[in-house]
Amino acid sequence: MYHVNNLSEIGKILVDNLNRYYMPFPVDKKVCSGWAKDLHRGGDTIIYTSCMYQIEPAVGMFLKFLPSISSFKVLMPLARLVKPSKSQLDRAYKILNNIVEALEKSGIKPGYLYEEEPYSGAILLEMGFLEEFGEYAKKIVSLFREKGVKKIITVDPHTHNALTRYQEFVKHDLEIVNYLELVNYTKKVEGEFTIHDSCLYSRFLGLREKYRGLIEKSGIKLVEDEMITGKDTSSCCGGPLGPVDLKVSEKIAENRAKDLEKLSKRLLVVCPICYVTLSPHFKGEIMDIAEVIF
Amino acid sequence: MLSWDIAVNRAINNAVPKVYKVLREHPYIEELAKRLREAKLEVLNNLEKYVEETLQSVKNNGGNAYYVHDEKEAQEIVGKIVGKGKIVVMGKSMVAYELGIRKYLESLGNEVWETDLGEFLIQQANEPPSHIIAPAIHMTKESVGKLLKEKLGGVDENSKVEDMVAVVRKFLRDKFVKADVGITGANAIAADTGSVLLVENEGNIRFTTVAPQIHIAIAGVEKILPTLADAMIEPLVQSAYAGLYPPTYVNLTSGPSSTADIEHNRVRPAHGPKEFHLILVDNGRVKANKDNVLREALLCIRCGRCHFHCPIYRAIGNIWGDPPYSGPMGAMWSYIVKGDTKPAMYCAHSGNCKEVCPMRINIPRVLEHIKNLGLHSQGKDKLDYK
Ligand code: SF4
Repeated sequence: MYHVNNLSEIGKILVDNLNRYYMPFPVDKKVCSGWAKDLHRGGDTIIYTSCMYQIEPAVGMFLKFLPSISSFKVLMPLARLVKPSKSQLDRAYKILNNIVEALEKSGIKPGYLYEEEPYSGAILLEMGFLEEFGEYAKKIVSLFREKGVKKIITVDPHTHNALTRYQEFVKHDLEIVNYLELVNYTKKVEGEFTIHDSCLYSRFLGLREKYRGLIEKSGIKLVEDEMITGKDTSSCCGGPLGPVDLKVSEKIAENRAKDLEKLSKRLLVVCPICYVTLSPHFKGEIMDIAEVIF
Repeated sequence: MLSWDIAVNRAINNAVPKVYKVLREHPYIEELAKRLREAKLEVLNNLEKYVEETLQSVKNNGGNAYYVHDEKEAQEIVGKIVGKGKIVVMGKSMVAYELGIRKYLESLGNEVWETDLGEFLIQQANEPPSHIIAPAIHMTKESVGKLLKEKLGGVDENSKVEDMVAVVRKFLRDKFVKADVGITGANAIAADTGSVLLVENEGNIRFTTVAPQIHIAIAGVEKILPTLADAMIEPLVQSAYAGLYPPTYVNLTSGPSSTADIEHNRVRPAHGPKEFHLILVDNGRVKANKDNVLREALLCIRCGRCHFHCPIYRAIGNIWGDPPYSGPMGAMWSYIVKGDTKPAMYCAHSGNCKEVCPMRINIPRVLEHIKNLGLHSQGKDKLDYK
């Protein structure tokens, strides 16, 4: 019933792309940096997107081709042409600008690396390419050093997780902090939502209470159920399995969406991958918290 | 909805709240789990010494003890003890399944019966187990009724569960009485006394360890604990985290049956088995123990809790892992005993498993390590993830 993709081949392609473009796919860097208007370039404190919010809506397209690796190879050079739709990008850009605004309201004016911003390597780590991830981490750490970066503000769980694990592979004194640790809600919101936690924030990075706190302070009432949204019971969206086995990934998303629908037709997420993975299955409205409370 | 979805959702909704309730009502369990983890680590840090001590302690009790490296050695020894043309009853043992003991004994011309209800059902259906403590959870009540109607008669799809159990009970009671050999696993083994601990609810293990003239226990070396006091903890912790607390039975066996009723001089055998054999199994465990990350997997007490919190298991469970190992623990154990790295590739690091594991095993980290080994040609499949 299930069929695992040729992971070692996929790994080779990812590494090759990362070496060439500092991105797992050959993405047009303008797609990644187009959201930023007047952030200063570089500086010792930067906001670090790893192009996750921007590119994630287009990743599903690649995943469909992974089972037949040869067509995937053919497709790679075309990837520059395959980009998220205008509305997908508008949404991503709005989220990132909302985050920056919230940071600024907390007195933080981050810089940004624009098209020089590299990808974090998270996909290598999560697929189990530890050696490759370690090598890549070394490169990224020296790139940050060259740019004089000292403090990095991450905006999504996968990037935050990858960065906090660099130290296992390379000594560095970069300070890694997630925006949720720095901001307050900036908009009062009324009404009920349920929530899909990020696995990484919730069970690996200790940020579960941080964003729940912000959400509740903003005035939102979270509809919870110990069997569906509890710390030990809230399940993965299935997204990280996309490159491994899309069918299983989708089955997990379907299960998750069905559970959440029982609680509310309005769903909050805190991760761009969760948003993309759950969207086709959840019957209702899904929003990132950065679209709602900032 | 697929029948797996129905079955697994029923099981999750029954099992998950039960464990929370048990832990709330018996707060000492979490303390015991911590102590158990420490005691197990003590053994893993000094494995050779504890294996030697265990083998000696069993012999001191008048039992026989063996250490086997792999499937072939295990089958040979069991085959020698059992012989052919015998009736053998088996208490649920994952290690026996791992080593192909039932099939091997059948090939020698023995009649072999699984006596755990779930195992009996999958033996009848000729299917692999789908959960480590509830091997037949992929079957709904209706499908069990249908199977029993075909195999034993007396019940059907619409029968009550109690009536289905009664039919199996009647059938197996006869086998217990006639059996020559009983084979079990072990939940824990005490190095200092050579005692084997087994926890269960059905009474089939108690029957298996006492009714036949010969009792064979087969267990991985990681089941050893330093002392009998440590070993006694395991059944409490295991059953609590399985949501089945208190367990109906805990069985302790130290060698063949004995009596000291005449002049307080302990002699063997008495009413129970004449012979007791303990087979300690390596089969990949010793190598895993030498790897600091993999070693954590050896702490697993097979409570099956991680399964019910795992989104991958819920999505594809009954075909995830090399039988009898399934779920998050099975993704680790498929590598340890079979060198199979493929199940680990399916870990989406949701992390629920590490939150609920009584042994605090960071399962996603172990699986990440196995992924890395597999992707770099250390696994059996040599990168052939096609
Ligand atoms: S890994 Fe932990 S939770 Fe899973 S079966 Fe083993 S002891 Fe239980």
